Amino acid sequence: MKFDAGAVTGLVVLAAVIAVVPLLGGAYLTTVALSMLVSFVLAESWDWLGGEMGYLNLGHYAFYGIGAYSFCLFLVGGAALAPSFVAAVAVPAVFAALLAVPMFRLKGDYFAFATLAIVPLCGLLTDNLSGITKGSEGVSLPPHYVLIPAYTMAGLLALATVAATLALTGSRFGYALKAIRNDEQAAEVVGVRLFPAKLRVLVLSAGFAGLAGAVQAWQFSFIDPDSMFGLSFALVPVAMALLGGSGLLWGPLVGVVLLTGAQQLLLIKLSMLQATIYGATILLIGRYLPGGLLRARALQRIPILAPLGREHHARIARRVAAAAGDALPLPPIAAAADASILGCRDLTLSFGGLVAVDNLTLNVAKGEIIGLVGPNGSGKTTLFNLISGVYRPQRGALAFDGRSLVGLRRDQVARLGIGRTYQIPRPFGDLTVRENIAIALMFREDGIVLAEAMAEAAPFAAFAGLVARLETRADALGLQERKALELARALAGRPKLLLIDEVASGLSTVEVRRFVDHIREIRDRYGITVIWVEHIFSALAQVVDRLVVLDAGRVIADAPLADAVRDARVLATYLGAASGAAR
Amino acid sequence: MPIDIIIQILLGGILLGGLYALVAFGLSLIYGVARILNIAHGTMLAITGVVASELYAATSWNPLLLMVAVVPPVFVFGYAFHAALLRPLARRRKHEEIIGTVLITTGLLIIMSDVTGVVAGTAQRNIPLAGAVLAFGDVIVPLTQVWIFAGILVLTLALHLFLKRSWFGRAVRGVTQDGIGAAICGVNSARAHAMTFAIGSGIVAVAGVLYAMTYPVDPYMGFSLTVKAFTIIIVGGIGNLAGALAAGILLGVAESFTAFLWAPQWAPLISVVVLLVILVVFPRGLAAWRTA
Repeated sequence: MKFDAGAVTGLVVLAAVIAVVPLLGGAYLTTVALSMLVSFVLAESWDWLGGEMGYLNLGHYAFYGIGAYSFCLFLVGGAALAPSFVAAVAVPAVFAALLAVPMFRLKGDYFAFATLAIVPLCGLLTDNLSGITKGSEGVSLPPHYVLIPAYTMAGLLALATVAATLALTGSRFGYALKAIRNDEQAAEVVGVRLFPAKLRVLVLSAGFAGLAGAVQAWQFSFIDPDSMFGLSFALVPVAMALLGGSGLLWGPLVGVVLLTGAQQLLLIKLSMLQATIYGATILLIGRYLPGGLLRARALQRIPILAPLGREHHARIARRVAAAAGDALPLPPIAAAADASILGCRDLTLSFGGLVAVDNLTLNVAKGEIIGLVGPNGSGKTTLFNLISGVYRPQRGALAFDGRSLVGLRRDQVARLGIGRTYQIPRPFGDLTVRENIAIALMFREDGIVLAEAMAEAAPFAAFAGLVARLETRADALGLQERKALELARALAGRPKLLLIDEVASGLSTVEVRRFVDHIREIRDRYGITVIWVEHIFSALAQVVDRLVVLDAGRVIADAPLADAVRDARVLATYLGAASGAAR
Repeated sequence: MPIDIIIQILLGGILLGGLYALVAFGLSLIYGVARILNIAHGTMLAITGVVASELYAATSWNPLLLMVAVVPPVFVFGYAFHAALLRPLARRRKHEEIIGTVLITTGLLIIMSDVTGVVAGTAQRNIPLAGAVLAFGDVIVPLTQVWIFAGILVLTLALHLFLKRSWFGRAVRGVTQDGIGAAICGVNSARAHAMTFAIGSGIVAVAGVLYAMTYPVDPYMGFSLTVKAFTIIIVGGIGNLAGALAAGILLGVAESFTAFLWAPQWAPLISVVVLLVILVVFPRGLAAWRTA
């Protein structure tokens, strides 16, 4: 169910090619094929971070070197083969776990750069700690001939890497990575816990890279700091993955075959400036093909090759039949009219000199629909950000359903049952509507498995009017559809409290009426408490039980709708003093 | 440890740190304005240093003349490089733009090091100026180093005045704070980006000549300088000249003492360790400018 026919065929073909090479080719061809397999493992495991999670780890090559060194030093130190290979996985994995703490503080090009600095750091340590590593002399293994066993191991490792990629792209964990790639904050507020996901994928990729390094070192039987931690080799796997197409199942393999082939030709034809040619290749890939060869338009026009340029997960998702029912699969929350669900007391947050939320106290009862209004900049969205854990209050207490929210992470807040939408929608752009909703279903408190989530996404999409767009990528949706997706995704998280931030603005009158009906249904049928920020007053007026008016971060009115609209301060600050005074 | 040795090491560290700060200025300026982390930045210093050393060996020109000879070509190269290779990436998706700039500047690093290595050789060299020596008791300061430090201060001040007082400097600061806002006010951001890349390259070329006057340079030393510059701008803050100068001097002094008290081969470790420690200990302080 997880593996589609194309991927399995590819895996079988790859296995057959790997098996045939040493039978038909001589030692030279087998050696080249072995280094191709090793490069492929490096490129593909790099892409788990790079392609799936969107983090450019330029220090991936260091794991390869550490794996090679661990293997050789264990072997030379008298350990047997198997424990040496175990060390080649374990040492880089532990190193990766230690690195994860500082490195994942960074994002984007800062992360890329800081990870690149890891490679010379390892080189320096290897050079200087010569008591352990034999320094710049390098480590030689006792004379041995292991081409065929090393090749077999590289082949098995490569197949395992493809299998791991398939398992990853079609798993809940894989979708956590895809959510992180698109928008970390949005991922967190649907319940994805960021750091463990990042840590796990880094450790996994380090283990594979380390083993690849060990296999290569076993065959080389000599390693030194320059070949293991040289900056001019460090980006080879990255360049390979990117050349073929990062994030594509077969992208790294295509890149590996092309670049290794080119490299072998160069070795024969050129005696100097090899690094220049290699640098120019990297430069040109960066300039013309940062999306990869398989995504190039010319290749996309060839029907047989076109599927190679599409991301693997899209095919998995489409296999799940669309089934739109009229009821949302949400168990109604028992109504307890007088029970409080949210309590904010003396909540304060200022940005520099601007006090965005000022000693705000607000209580919300279970099953209420609250309209939250106020002029621009009065603190409505900031209050939502405080409740959902995006910001932390500087002062005050925040309790939800009997527990304090202060100090909780965003994903913990989400799992307690607080869902939210963003005023400017933040969908996971390169995933489909179905996948967007499925992520929320998988990562809520009682999350369901991937296949069920893919199926159960349909009713939520239908509720939000997106049933025809289930397989559309979110970044291809119009603004209103994105807002609808925000609502569907927030509902899929099974919230007890839903924070809606200006979903109706820009809708036509008919659409607004339908939306108001939705809000009423959310409360009446499923028992979800709603706080709704909206500027379309007529829409609010149709459905809210209570109106809370903010001005300059303070509550200036908190009363049933009919009373609030007669309040002098509300008239002055929000509804318009001039019209009030004129009458 | 006698006080004069401490002072001697301190002076050496301050000088080295001042040079690091110059490298950081360019990197910080380019990142602040064009959002490009130029991985080849330190390598530009290395190559300029090698070229200036070769030029000095051939002509014995004085350092100011060497700068006049080597800085303008690097400036023009920086402009052309940005306009031809980096600028077109701005049209791509954000993720592809980051990948593209990383690959292009890394490719440039490898090409520059390799070509220079093949043409000029991989050996270390410098600009061996013979000059007077100032002695304060047991503390000895070559006059050359005084000139280098004067050069660093003048360049810092000039850059500060340029950014604060000139119209182009104001435009650059505008683009740094809000690219679209600056564009609405009529700043030609494509030109501002390319000019900034050129100015950053020019500064690092000046630093290259100054560096080669005291320390040996070779075609492959550049990346470790880029790492140091990166550490400095993380500590000192993007676009903060005074902060970068202070952080640079701190790093230079720390390296000098490490080399003296422990062993010279451990000195390069300091910057990476400082970087990692800062990332672990002060993540909040960095959050402000790390991502928008």
